[in-house]
Amino acid sequence: MKMGMVIDLEKCIGCRSCMVACKQHNAQPPGTWWNRVFTPGSHHHLTPPARGVEFFLPVHCQHCENAPCEKVCPVGATYHAPDGAVLIDFERCIGCRYCMAACPYGVRQFNWESPEKAHQRAQYQENYHYGYPADHRKEGRLVYTPLRPKGVVEKCTFCAQYRDKGEPPACVQGCPGKARIVGDLDDPNSEVRRLIRERNAFQLLPEKGTKPTVYYLPPKPKEI
Amino acid sequence: MSAKMKISLWLSGILFLVAMAAWLYQLREGLVLTNLQNSYSWGLYISGLAFFVGNAAGGLVLSSSIYLFGAKKLKPLAKLGALTAFANVTAAMLIVLPDIGQPVRLYNMLLHPNFTSPLVWDVIVLNLYAVASAVYLYILMLPDLTGPLSRFAVKVQNPAEFSEKWAKRIAPVALLFAIGIHVVTAWIFSTQGARDWWHSPAMAPDFVAVAIGVGTAVVLLAGAIAYGTGEKFQEAYRTLALIIFVTTGIHLFLMMNDLVIHAWYGNAETHRIMEIAWGDFAWAHIFEVVAPLTGAWLLLQDGVRRSLPRLAGSAGLLIAGVFVHRFLIMPAAYNNLPMTMVPLGLPDSHWSLPVASGRFFPGMGTFVEHYAYAPSFIEVVILLGIMAYAVFLVLLAIAKLPILAREAS
Repeated sequence: MKMGMVIDLEKCIGCRSCMVACKQHNAQPPGTWWNRVFTPGSHHHLTPPARGVEFFLPVHCQHCENAPCEKVCPVGATYHAPDGAVLIDFERCIGCRYCMAACPYGVRQFNWESPEKAHQRAQYQENYHYGYPADHRKEGRLVYTPLRPKGVVEKCTFCAQYRDKGEPPACVQGCPGKARIVGDLDDPNSEVRRLIRERNAFQLLPEKGTKPTVYYLPPKPKEI
Repeated sequence: MSAKMKISLWLSGILFLVAMAAWLYQLREGLVLTNLQNSYSWGLYISGLAFFVGNAAGGLVLSSSIYLFGAKKLKPLAKLGALTAFANVTAAMLIVLPDIGQPVRLYNMLLHPNFTSPLVWDVIVLNLYAVASAVYLYILMLPDLTGPLSRFAVKVQNPAEFSEKWAKRIAPVALLFAIGIHVVTAWIFSTQGARDWWHSPAMAPDFVAVAIGVGTAVVLLAGAIAYGTGEKFQEAYRTLALIIFVTTGIHLFLMMNDLVIHAWYGNAETHRIMEIAWGDFAWAHIFEVVAPLTGAWLLLQDGVRRSLPRLAGSAGLLIAGVFVHRFLIMPAAYNNLPMTMVPLGLPDSHWSLPVASGRFFPGMGTFVEHYAYAPSFIEVVILLGIMAYAVFLVLLAIAKLPILAREAS
């Protein structure tokens, strides 16, 4: 089993529901966004850079097979789970941020202060708690906790806490356009493999040799 | 102990303690006290690592010149070389600590080391070099460990002969570790394919060159302050100045070679690097070239080496230039976001994906493409404190241990 995701840019309407679902379900502190959706070529989201050129690009951890973040981690806190997802052990990470220098996708984010203080600083409503409420361990390693320790790095886990219950990640569940599909890349007959084959899927920064397991299906040109 | 020495010890000691207090405060609050954020996640501290590692090369230059190339006139400076090497390599390890988010967990480096990480290699080689420098210094001091210090001396038949023999044996090993710290520290950066500014095979040889230059300048400066600029040491100083000039020249060549190659091809990524290196940081870039070159050239002049203020000024200029060079490791790496693309249907455009800052700065958006980093007050205090630690250690050792050659003092 090798977990993979296909994002159909033809179906993505740039609504950022996946960003919000991801942020809420994973209790991300203010300023931290595991998942970003932008309008390529434009400095303003949902504003086309040119007439007729309008598509949106969701980017989160690409769960690379040749993951530089995993290779640079001095303590093995970043590791590949057996299903191919790249996870971070919140109890082992020393917070050196070498992985943030190594990741070409800019998806890794640091806890510059404790989440409680960050909530106060951003003036979140008092006693407002959000996100999956329990710690989640995989093979004994803490890969999700609602209140992160300060000084550790975090990023998309493909929603380890949900997948271990057999549910898809929050971004997949929350997408109104059903633009996201997850499946097994090892199975040549899986839907993800079929879409990759039939729809000319591409990866981000293939020249960096990271071998992402997130694939994108190109959009058709818009009619105007 | 002279009054000057006492005052210097007090000042550097207090500054170090202030920095430790600042670090404790930062430990409590988090790295939110720095001006770093997610898109620009390494700054002054890691530049400080590269700076101190470079300064530590003096020991290597002295020991290898004396025992491998037979430059006997440098012998009175050998202990100072090993001492400044030890002080700087331990300072290099210290300055990494405030950059670590969870320093209490550093034991994981021993329990679960990941040997594909250049950071693990660096920790190993820095520790080996620190131990080698300390052992080497001890061996050199052995014949002079007399009087109250004799209880620290290993009992050997002929300490002078023993010292000579073992110094010769340790020198090549120390040389290996010494080259190792520069090469491996450069590899921390140059292995990273994500950052075009770092991803260059020229970086490791350049780190060696710049380190031999600046490390020797540190020893020359320490020697001139300790022994003065009398005739007796002029020949030794001249040799050091020559080493400094040649290696500074090699360093500037390697750096320019890299810039030309980056600039010539002219794709969008390298264009952006040039914009940052020559645009935003043009003055810093000019300084990183002009200051070491001028400093090294001045040190070649007889008149400069015969006057302590002029020698100190020139060596200081070179060291300052190298410091700025180390600072400039970061901007062109972090302000050139690796996640860029040519959007479908817009072949002429080059677009970078903004990064979530993770910080709450009033007046700054959540997603950033470009960030004008300047170190925060606490970063500067901690860096100065670690510099003060190196100075304090060198001064204390000079005051308490037989570091300086007896015939000279």
